[in-house]
Amino acid sequence: MQTNPIGRSEKALVLQVLLNGIFLGAIYANIAVGFSLAWGVMDVINVAHGTMIVMGSFVTFFLFKYIGIDPFLSIPFSMAVLFLIGYFAQRYLLNLVVKVGIFLSLILTFGLDLVFINAVLLIFTGDYRSVTPSYSGSNFQVGGINVPYIRLATLGICILLTGLLQLFLTRTRTGNAIRATAQNRQAAEIVGVNVARIYSVTLGVSAALAGACGSLISMVQSFTPFEGGFFIMKAFIICVLGGLGNVYGAMIGGVLLGLVETTGARILGTGFQEAISAIIMILVLIFMPKGIVGSKYK
Amino acid sequence: MKNKKQLLIAVLIGLGFVVLPLLIEGYWIRVISSIFMYGVVTGALNIIAGFAGYAAFGNVVFFGIGAYSTAMLMLRVGFPWWGGCVIGAILAAFFAVVVGFPVLRLRGHYFAIATLGINRAVEQIALDWGSFTGGGKGITLPLPQMEIQSFYAMIYFILFGLLLLTLLTNFVIARGRLGYALRAIRDDEDAAEASGIFAPSCKVIAWAISAFITGLAGGVFAYWFSFIEPATVFDIMIAVKAFVMMMLGGAGTVMGPVLGAFLLELISETVWGQFLTIHMLILGTIVIGVVIFIPRGMLHLFRQRFSLSALIRNIKNQSI
Repeated sequence: MQTNPIGRSEKALVLQVLLNGIFLGAIYANIAVGFSLAWGVMDVINVAHGTMIVMGSFVTFFLFKYIGIDPFLSIPFSMAVLFLIGYFAQRYLLNLVVKVGIFLSLILTFGLDLVFINAVLLIFTGDYRSVTPSYSGSNFQVGGINVPYIRLATLGICILLTGLLQLFLTRTRTGNAIRATAQNRQAAEIVGVNVARIYSVTLGVSAALAGACGSLISMVQSFTPFEGGFFIMKAFIICVLGGLGNVYGAMIGGVLLGLVETTGARILGTGFQEAISAIIMILVLIFMPKGIVGSKYK
Repeated sequence: MKNKKQLLIAVLIGLGFVVLPLLIEGYWIRVISSIFMYGVVTGALNIIAGFAGYAAFGNVVFFGIGAYSTAMLMLRVGFPWWGGCVIGAILAAFFAVVVGFPVLRLRGHYFAIATLGINRAVEQIALDWGSFTGGGKGITLPLPQMEIQSFYAMIYFILFGLLLLTLLTNFVIARGRLGYALRAIRDDEDAAEASGIFAPSCKVIAWAISAFITGLAGGVFAYWFSFIEPATVFDIMIAVKAFVMMMLGGAGTVMGPVLGAFLLELISETVWGQFLTIHMLILGTIVIGVVIFIPRGMLHLFRQRFSLSALIRNIKNQSI
């Protein structure tokens, strides 16, 4: 059997790359699920979603550093904080323009993004921050494959959150109202759905998912207030790959992107990686405009 | 009578800008030059986004292509700056045609995202192809062989000339067949095609013109600052600012975008200078305010005589 310089078998290495791809993909999926919810339901491209993720990271950072709460336990807090931010942003700003068309809401979220970045910058300064609980470096091994505990837990939480979102959308009254509004806003209004409120809840849920995602990301990489642009680009690519406004689409697109990036980096090196994924996105947009899973919320 | 009066005012304002450099100091020459530059970028954006209604958020890619072409041609081939600018602008227009045919088929958000992706891809190529473009360290252009004061005055007049060119282009498009076709496409693309407008080529021509002008602005920017890096010339904030300026003045009008550029840049220079740590907060608030209160621009507001009740009615109509 061939061995590489680190002394692991080629097969184990391939498996390791694939596993890393899935771990990365789980986080990517989590980035995209909330983003795609807002887009699919309200036709709002929330450019501030990336910075909302960063805000989630900072909530966890704050709770961990100053109060000493375990980063995993801080997830509900960052979800709650971000839910409120999303809810009020939609209620008092986005709802004022969402009906007119894509131009206005898109630019409005750019403005929100600037305000959010500056607010985080004022509170936490622009230094690189990281959240490092005592268990952050530890891992276990299965058949020559390294499995870091945090990454595994992240994967579990991503699956759990996506499942909960799916249950919320299909089993609860509010969830049904959200899906009805996504299908036809006027018809939903006619049957008595309070669209303004439903839209606010939708952006709130979307932002809460961003917050949870930010808490998870804070444990695996360091961050600054300016990281949002990177996340939003990933969210675009994933939503385009997986198809819009569908929980499974974001899930599949995320895992796909994670696998493509880790195997691509292994085979081609890391140069041009970003360029390649952007080009893949444009090609998918042109040739498969509905994405791989397609179809709106139903 | 009214037209003559307007023309007279326009000529007077133009003459005012010609004699202005005699009266003001270096700092304000720089500020007004940068206002001119944003006027050019915004006017160019207006052709595709204002007239045709395509949200080309990645238009800044042409700015970067123009800047990098100028830099490369001056450094590696020995072109004069103006030769580099013109070739760079032609390259930008060519690029718009090549990507335009497939990408302009996309509508709404998808087009906006595709242009953002194109900008990202080109920026990353400029970053990763360090042996040719200088990569993330950026690239220094040959310095001009003249006194710095007269150099800045020259840039001032070059950008002023470009601004007049942009206005003229917008004017000709607005009054011509292309302008009618583009506005028809903006209002209802299917209906426009049904009434005999061949939308794909109209859109591509509009985007190519927009790219050409943006490319010229990028080339002049590179020569002016004599140092460029991917993060500055492909900065998405240039496009966002241009969008806000366009809406502030009035999208789809000839004078509106330039007016918006003047207003926002003047505010930015006079107000933000005092508040360095919160300038993004102020810009963001202005963006949100413009979108909510004057989405149809100052010109529209002016025609409604700044009526508060009309403003409130507008907000009520557009909110859910």
